[in-house]
Amino acid sequence: MNLRTVVLTVASLALGALHSNLSADATRSVWDGVYTQEQAKQGQPLYNESCSSCHGDNLIGQDVAPALGGGEFLSNWDGLTLGDLFQRIRTTMPASRPGSLSGEKNAAILAYILSVNQFPAGKTALAQQKEVLDEIKISASKPDKK
Amino acid sequence: MRRKTSNVLPLTILCVALGTTWIAINASGQGAGYVPSTQKGDWPYYTADLKGSKYVPLDQINASNFSKLEVAWRFKTDNLGPRPEYKLEGTPVAVNGTLYTTGGTRRSIVSLDGKTGEVNWTFSFREGNRAAVAPRQLSGRGVSYWTDGHGDDRVVFVTTGYRLVELNAHTGAIITSFGQNGMVDLKVGMVKGAGEQIDLETGEAGLHSTPLVVKDEILVGSSMKEGMTPVTHNNTKGMVRAYDVHTGKQLWAFNTIPRPGEFGNDTWENGSWAINGNTGVWTQMTVDEDLGLAYLPVEDPTSDFYGGHRPGNNLYGDSLVCVDLKTGQRKWFFQVVHHPIWDFDLSSAPILADITVDGRAIKAVALPSKQAWLYVFDRVTGKPVWPIEERPVQQSDVPGEKTSPTQPFPTKPPAYARNYLKVPDDLIDFTPEMRAQAKDLLSRYRVTDRPFNPALVGDEKGLLGAINVGNAGGGTNWPGAGYDPETHIVYAQAANSSAAGMSVRKPPPGFSDLNYFSGRNDQPFREALGPGFGTAADSPLAKTVGRPQEPPPAPAGGRGAAAGGGGGFGLNVDGLPIMKPPYGVISAIDLDKGDLKWQVPYGETPDNVRRILTEKGIKFGNLGQNGSVGLLVTKTLVILGDNQVTNPGTHPRGAMLRAYDKQSGKEVGAVWMPAPQSGSPMSYLAGGKQYIVVAVSGGAYSGEYLAFSLPENE
Repeated sequence: MNLRTVVLTVASLALGALHSNLSADATRSVWDGVYTQEQAKQGQPLYNESCSSCHGDNLIGQDVAPALGGGEFLSNWDGLTLGDLFQRIRTTMPASRPGSLSGEKNAAILAYILSVNQFPAGKTALAQQKEVLDEIKISASKPDKK
Repeated sequence: MRRKTSNVLPLTILCVALGTTWIAINASGQGAGYVPSTQKGDWPYYTADLKGSKYVPLDQINASNFSKLEVAWRFKTDNLGPRPEYKLEGTPVAVNGTLYTTGGTRRSIVSLDGKTGEVNWTFSFREGNRAAVAPRQLSGRGVSYWTDGHGDDRVVFVTTGYRLVELNAHTGAIITSFGQNGMVDLKVGMVKGAGEQIDLETGEAGLHSTPLVVKDEILVGSSMKEGMTPVTHNNTKGMVRAYDVHTGKQLWAFNTIPRPGEFGNDTWENGSWAINGNTGVWTQMTVDEDLGLAYLPVEDPTSDFYGGHRPGNNLYGDSLVCVDLKTGQRKWFFQVVHHPIWDFDLSSAPILADITVDGRAIKAVALPSKQAWLYVFDRVTGKPVWPIEERPVQQSDVPGEKTSPTQPFPTKPPAYARNYLKVPDDLIDFTPEMRAQAKDLLSRYRVTDRPFNPALVGDEKGLLGAINVGNAGGGTNWPGAGYDPETHIVYAQAANSSAAGMSVRKPPPGFSDLNYFSGRNDQPFREALGPGFGTAADSPLAKTVGRPQEPPPAPAGGRGAAAGGGGGFGLNVDGLPIMKPPYGVISAIDLDKGDLKWQVPYGETPDNVRRILTEKGIKFGNLGQNGSVGLLVTKTLVILGDNQVTNPGTHPRGAMLRAYDKQSGKEVGAVWMPAPQSGSPMSYLAGGKQYIVVAVSGGAYSGEYLAFSLPENE
């Protein structure tokens, strides 16, 4: 291999590494299709059974518990991650028996909440691990396309 | 540190003999014989003093340095219970530089060094199922303090399971000489029906507020579950009781639902006194020590929105009652809502104010309310200081309901926030199109030109509900208002945009013995549980919430799309509240004149409103935030924090603790907090330095007591 090839190879390897680092750091948001339709469909009856008695029909909220959708809800969580929201739900909800739902059920309920808030569905289901969900940012407004 | 008691007695005798006051030599550093007072920079009661003022005459922290405040220390309540708490509502008491308060899902008690936040001691009590099923859970509003003035210092509080407990303030040890091994079972004596004792474990009774300690008496109220969808109208009967602080013996009991032969029993027609309950006092009481009078703010009877099982005015529901401190005998009362069906519980401490009106000195009591009216009375005689007029109001058409033809309307002072929806004046008006949309939306509701619009039987095919403002949340809710005894001004923050359509429905067969309660016929039935209900430490995991529910319909679409991810939620226009701003206000009410002195928006514009208006290119100023929060009054400032997190670009994402000039209402300083204010702020001196402590929590941020003080060089 001549020097030029070596330099180019090293350069492209370095750029490749840089590119993949950027991808790993690039924060996905709730606008990127982070749950599946199927998952949201599973979440709906779970929401109705475990959440609606306080948070109301269609996530509208009552005076005893806030809405889980709409502008005020999204503003409260804007800038935080799905991991933050998932952790809050997982450890403290439903209020009458906190921590009683499995990770899978919590993820399905979260997917349903995202669907009612009209965030797009996609090909990947929501993970059940906080650390993975920490990579998905909650953004009340749609980020500008790059 | 344990205080050696053996040194004390000989020293006492010596000093008495010498005619001197003595200070015990004390390993803990806390001087025995200390009587706390706000004059010394203490905060000995939930409301600072027995009069409900929330006033402490400190001004080390003032307009010139408020914005320079720094976090002195912070105390997380996460591990005071098996899981973190996200609704921390306590206000600590401060005595001689030591704080005492509740915290955590176990409602544990902590004593903290006021300078550093270091834990002196903690106390927790595993109450088991009794706490798990209690109607009022999480850590509540705080503790009370008692001293004999000679070093016998105690912390007094009510547990989740509704027991009255006393602890040694220095060590946290139970005072075993009080009650039964330090505890009085407050469920003993609580009854339902015609006098049936409630079950000690599962009977519905509890409390969030702090007990009132005055002289050698403890006054305790009572609270039940939220009253939107009760399973029976024959619920536990509320009452107020007084106990001896030494022995725990009950001194008197006041029946808030009069029994046969008692005055007011006939305001429960058809013997309905025997089949209804609630009507407790769940908020803070106040006391005039000199007059020996206590002021009791009473809540709704059972079923907040339907009273068909209790025809009549239902005394003393929604009444301010003045009783003799020693005997509990009623001296006077004023019912603020007749036949209560609006959830207008009297929600906060009645403020005792010595005022001068038209040259006449009056010992007054000023009662803030969810209706954002301040009801002002001569606290000796009960006579309104300014006329309160009975005026005709909308009548109910719900089968079986018989509303009062009139309700009381104070003529002065004016309402300090909106208590009804004035059409079109109060409707959103950023653009004419939005206002037109609002009017269109309202065509599905009954709207009245005054408060007290009774619920109707809501239906998709007819009217959806009756428009009311402020019922559950206020106006002023449990955080209450404050008062400056030097200037005779009441400071009250209030929600100003809580418009909702009230509707009732028949319960699903077998669910309740009520003919109607909160809900709408076309919506699937949901049992409405109280905030924090079931969140106590030992909530049984296997228990299913509520009862069998009806299957849900497909989600209703097209309620009005909100900008940015959302869909339509609640009574809104394009995602904006249907009522125009300010969404929340802070008001200063001059009690000598009966006028509003100033009124400014509370907090700052919520993020979603900011975003929507900015996207539409609409200019706006500070639109304020909705919600009810508590405040603190000092020599020069009124201090309170935002109850929402915002990210406006002018401060990091979070909530601000703000200071306002008392005279003008001008915001003179603000400091950043990581989470919203969830408990009312207080202030005290420790080591000669002034601190402000406020409970913050919400969203992803678990409960924390946050303490601020000035940096060293200020």
